[in-house]
Amino acid sequence: MNKESKIIRWLDARYSLSLLEHFAEEKKVPHFSGSFWYYFGGVSLFLFIVQVITGILLLMYYQPGAQTAYESVRFIVTKVEFGWLIRSIHSWSANLMILSVIIHMFSVYFTKAFRKPRELTWYSGFLLLALSLAFGFSGYLLPWNTLSYFATKVGTEIVGVVPFIGKPMMELLRNGSDVTTVTLTRFFGLHVAVFPAIFTVVLGVHLLFIQVQGISEPESWKDAPESKKKYIPFFPNFVLRDVLLWLIVLNVLAILAVYFPWELGGKADPFAPAPLGIRPEWYFLFMFQSLKFFPAKILGLDGEVVGVVLFGLAGLLWFLIPFWDSRTVKGHRNRILNYAGVVVILYIIIMTIIGAG
Amino acid sequence: MKHLMLLSIVATLVAFYQSSVTYAQEKKVVDKCLSCHADIGGAEAAAYINDIHYKAGVSCADCHGGDPTLDDQDAAMSTVKGYIGVPKLSAIPQICGKCHGPEKTPFKSKYHLNNVMDDFVASVHGRALTESNDGPQCISCHGIHNIVKVSDKSSPVYPTNTCAKCHSNPDYMKKFNPGLPVDQYEKYLTSVHGERNKSGDPKPATCVSCHSNHLVRAVKDPRSPVYPTNIPQTCAKCHSSKSYMAEYRIPTDQYDNFKQSVHGVALLQNSDLSAPACNSCHGNHGAAPPGIASVSAVCGTCHQANADLFDKSVHKTAFVKAKLPGCVVCHSNHLVKPPTDMMIGFSSGSVCGNCHKNNSTDSAATLILAMHSILDSLTTGQKNASSLLTHAEELGMDVSDASYSLKDVNQSLVEARVQVHAFAVPPLKDAAEPGLKIVADAQKSALSAINEYYFRRQGLGVATLVITLLVILLYLKIKQIERKKAR
Repeated sequence: MNKESKIIRWLDARYSLSLLEHFAEEKKVPHFSGSFWYYFGGVSLFLFIVQVITGILLLMYYQPGAQTAYESVRFIVTKVEFGWLIRSIHSWSANLMILSVIIHMFSVYFTKAFRKPRELTWYSGFLLLALSLAFGFSGYLLPWNTLSYFATKVGTEIVGVVPFIGKPMMELLRNGSDVTTVTLTRFFGLHVAVFPAIFTVVLGVHLLFIQVQGISEPESWKDAPESKKKYIPFFPNFVLRDVLLWLIVLNVLAILAVYFPWELGGKADPFAPAPLGIRPEWYFLFMFQSLKFFPAKILGLDGEVVGVVLFGLAGLLWFLIPFWDSRTVKGHRNRILNYAGVVVILYIIIMTIIGAG
Repeated sequence: MKHLMLLSIVATLVAFYQSSVTYAQEKKVVDKCLSCHADIGGAEAAAYINDIHYKAGVSCADCHGGDPTLDDQDAAMSTVKGYIGVPKLSAIPQICGKCHGPEKTPFKSKYHLNNVMDDFVASVHGRALTESNDGPQCISCHGIHNIVKVSDKSSPVYPTNTCAKCHSNPDYMKKFNPGLPVDQYEKYLTSVHGERNKSGDPKPATCVSCHSNHLVRAVKDPRSPVYPTNIPQTCAKCHSSKSYMAEYRIPTDQYDNFKQSVHGVALLQNSDLSAPACNSCHGNHGAAPPGIASVSAVCGTCHQANADLFDKSVHKTAFVKAKLPGCVVCHSNHLVKPPTDMMIGFSSGSVCGNCHKNNSTDSAATLILAMHSILDSLTTGQKNASSLLTHAEELGMDVSDASYSLKDVNQSLVEARVQVHAFAVPPLKDAAEPGLKIVADAQKSALSAINEYYFRRQGLGVATLVITLLVILLYLKIKQIERKKAR
C-alpha cells in the first residue's frame, strides 16, 4: 500500500471520502450542442479565484488614501517584482470575469435555465452579477488616477439622480458630498472586505443550489426519449473540460497582461478640470451612453431621472423573469423572450460601441 | 506821476470798454460783470481780457452764472439768475466741460474743441478729484482767467513745469498716492530729453508725450501708454520716426530690433511683465543710454549671476581696456537673441570667433572648445536619454521616475550656461557634473526598462508554451477517457 492511499484511507475513515467520490462519479451533466455555454459559470468562478489571489497580493503593498494610493500602485507596478504582472492580471481578470458572468447570465436566459425549480439559482446569480459590477466600480477608484477619479465622480452623480433615495445614496457611497480621500477608504473597505464576504456567501449558495438541483437540461429534452439524451460524468470529464478552458483563459490573461498592461495614468487632481471624453468602464457604458441620448425633459420630468428610473425598472424586470414568464413555467415555448433577449444584447453592444467611439 | 497813473487807469478803462464793446458786438449785449469788476479793480477781470476764452466770447457769466446784462449788482449776481460765485474746485471740470465736454454746441464746432472732459474723468487725476476736493482739475494745470493757447510759450502747460507743481511736492502727493516717487522732474532734468528741452529744443519728450495729457492713467493700468507692454510702442512713437529723429543722428531701428529680441518676444508676445522694456535699461524719467562702463551693471540688474562672473573674468579688464561695452559685445543690445550653446566655439553662429582665432596662436581656443564640449555633452546626453525614455514609454514601460529626474538636467544646464560667463573650464565642469550624472542614470533606467520589456515577452513566450502544452495534454487525456468510456 503506497503512501497516497494510506492518506486517503485515513481521511476516508474520518470524513467518508468515498461518499464524495461516489457522488462525483454518479453526478451527470447534460451534454448537447449548447452545453459549451455551461462552462462560462466555471470560467467566472476561475476568474473570481484569480481575482482573490491577485487581490491579496496587491493588498500587501496597496495603501488607501489620497496621498498614498496612487503612489503605492506606482510602486507596485515599477518596483515590486512582478508587481506589474499581478496588477495587470487583476485588472484584466476583473473585466473578463464581468464579461464571463454576463455571457453566463445570457446563456442561462436563452436556455431558460431559470425556470422552476431553479428560480433561486437565477436570483443568486443575478446578485452575483450585481456584486461583480459593484466590485468593478469600487475597484476602479482605488488607484486614484485621473480617469478613475472623474469616472467615479460621474458614476456616483448618476446614482444621485435617482428620485428620493438618490442623494442620500450618493452621499453614502461618497462618504460625503464629494469624491474625496474618505470615499477612497470607503470604496477600499467595500472592495476588499464587504463585497468579498457577501460574494463568497452568495457564491456558496449559488453553487449549492446547482449541486442540489443539478445542471439544467435543455428544454428540447422535456419530451425526448431517454436514448436521445446524452450525459457526461461530472468527474472527471466535465471537470477536466472545465480545467482545459481555465488554462486557455489563463493563457489569454497572460497575453493580455503582457501585451496590453493596464495603464496607471496620472494622479487624480480634484481641483483640475475633468479630462475630455470621461466615461465609465465598458460594462456601464451602454447605460451611460443611453442617458446621453435622453432629451433634457420628458413629460416635464428631468430626462436623466427618467432614464435612470427606466434602467432600474428594466433591471428589476430582468431579475424577476422567473415570476412573469408564465409560458416557460407551463412548459410552452416562449419565443418572445428569445427575441427580447436578442434585442437587449444588440442594444447593449450598439450602445457600448457608440459610447466607446 | 499822478498824470501817469491817471493815464494808465483811463487806458485800462478804455481797453475794458473796447473789450466789452467787442464782446457786446458779438453777443449783442454789454458784459456788465467785466465792466463793474474792472471798475472796482478786480485782478481777475484785469487778467481775463488776455484770456483765450474772453477772446472767443466767453463771458464771466458763462462760468460763474448770473445775468451779465443787468446793471443792478444784486439782480445780476442773484442765485435766481444762476449765479454760483466762485465755484468749488471739484465743480470746475463740469464748468469747463460745458464747452470742452462731449456735448455738441455751435460754439464747440466753431472753435473745433475736442471732448477732453471724458478723458479727464477716466484719468488718474479725475479719480483723485472724486476722492478729494483738493485733487487736480483743469485750472491746476491750465491756470485761471489768464489761460492762453497750449502752443503759447507763456502757457503753464508749455511744454513742462506744470506736472512738477504737484508731482514734486511730497506733501501734496502723499494725500493721493504716498508710494509714488516725487523725483520724476528732478530725474527728467538729468535725462537726455530734459537736457535738450531745457536748452530750448521743444521736440524731446515731456511728461505728456509719454503719459498723455487729459487721459493720464496709472502705470499699472494696462491701457496706460507707460504700462510695461506699451512702453516700447510709446518710445517708438518718436524713436522709430526717421524724420523726427533725423536731426539727432541716432538709429531708429531700436523698436524693430527689440520686437525680435528675446526680451521683446517675452514682453510683447508672451506678455511677461518680468521682461524688460526700454525703461528697464535706459531709465524712465531719467532716460539716457547706458555708458560703456555701465552696460554690464545695467544687464546685471536682472542677470546678476552672469554679471558677477563676467566682472571677475578675464574679459572684464580686456573689454574695459578696449572700450568695449560688456555684454553687448556678444549679445547685442536691442536685438538680444536667445543665447545658444553654438555661441561658444568657432562654428557658424558662434561669437568667440569675432575676437579669437581657432589655432595654436590663440591660447583661448583650447578653453573655448573645452567649454563648448561640456555644454554639448550635457545637451546631447539629455536628448539621447530623453529619446531612450520615450522609446521605453512607447513600449508601455513605466519610466516616469527617470523622466521626472531628467527635468533636473535643465537646472544643471542653466547653471552651466551661467558659468560660461566666468570663461574658465573648472567652474563650468562643476556645474555640468550633476546634470551629466542624471543623464547617465536616466539612460541606464531607460535601457533597463527596454530590456525588461523584452524579458517579459520572452517570459510570456515560455509561460504560453507551457500552458499550451498542458492544454494539449489535457485535451488528449479527456479524449482518452471518453474513448475508454465509449468502449
